Amino acid sequence: MLVVAEHEQLPVPQARAGESSAWDTLFRRYQLPLYVYVFELVHNEQTSLDIVQETFIAAARHIGSLREDGKFGSWLFGIAHQKVIQLWRKHGGKEILLDEIPESPDEFESGPDDLLVRQEQEAEFMNLLNQLPLAQRSALLLHFVEDFSLEEIARITESQIGTVKSRMHYAKRALRKLLEEKQ
Amino acid sequence: MKTPRDILFARHQTAAPKLDAIRREVLAAELNNQETKEQSQPSNFVAWFLCCSNKFWQELIWPSRRIWTGLAATWILIFVFNLSQRDPSEMMARKSPPSSPEMILTFPQQERLLAELVGPNEPQTVAPPKPFLPQPRSEGRIEILIT
Repeated sequence: MLVVAEHEQLPVPQARAGESSAWDTLFRRYQLPLYVYVFELVHNEQTSLDIVQETFIAAARHIGSLREDGKFGSWLFGIAHQKVIQLWRKHGGKEILLDEIPESPDEFESGPDDLLVRQEQEAEFMNLLNQLPLAQRSALLLHFVEDFSLEEIARITESQIGTVKSRMHYAKRALRKLLEEKQ
Repeated sequence: MKTPRDILFARHQTAAPKLDAIRREVLAAELNNQETKEQSQPSNFVAWFLCCSNKFWQELIWPSRRIWTGLAATWILIFVFNLSQRDPSEMMARKSPPSSPEMILTFPQQERLLAELVGPNEPQTVAPPKPFLPQPRSEGRIEILIT
């Protein structure tokens, strides 16, 4: 199982220099999290694999545009997120990732593990996750999969921090409520 | 009890072999691409141009395609209206054929006829222009002072 390290050392400078082993390490590290994120938004295996591939190609070609090596992960997810939006636009989708939700209270539970799910609730959890509006699901997935901070999620989804905070708050509250109802 | 991350990753673990294949493919293609980067500068430019135009189309034109269509339709209407409002005599004048050499030859005859009808012209008493004679600067100055 892949564990997200607090301050993991990624070979980004070596990848910038064109070392294939560095790219291999980076792609290996992010391939499954990226796939999980994309799949849970588009719900199509082949499309998700295509988007992951396109994201890797774009990353390899445009690594020069990455300003801080420490933000490689959020930069990579940002590329994937844009690819998902492009896909929706191509299929005539509305701006479904930009829904308007009311302001949330200031408190925010930061840990992705504060929501624990029992084994018998797993299917129900996934079902509930898929019922969430796309913008909320996107923010929550980024939080669950990579434990991105609010700032990072805002950067990836090109949203305001306040908006991300609201999405997370309402998404978590909805999930928790639904899980409690099922108990 | 499991975390959401555990559940999500466990659900998609089966995609790992396909992701491995994609990773290898991208690495092979991109490394090869970097080696031939210098050779393919023009194709890079074409790719960049295509990418830019695609982005331009997708982000500027396509999202507001109805507005652009409306604007285009308005311009066409204005153009058609403008055409329909033009003076027809202007159009006829444009359509008339260019004057032939015979027509040009008749002009002096017509002029002569007109002169006969009006009567002979009085001789012109206009003095011929003075020939320019160069003068010393000092004389020229005096002349100016006198006048």
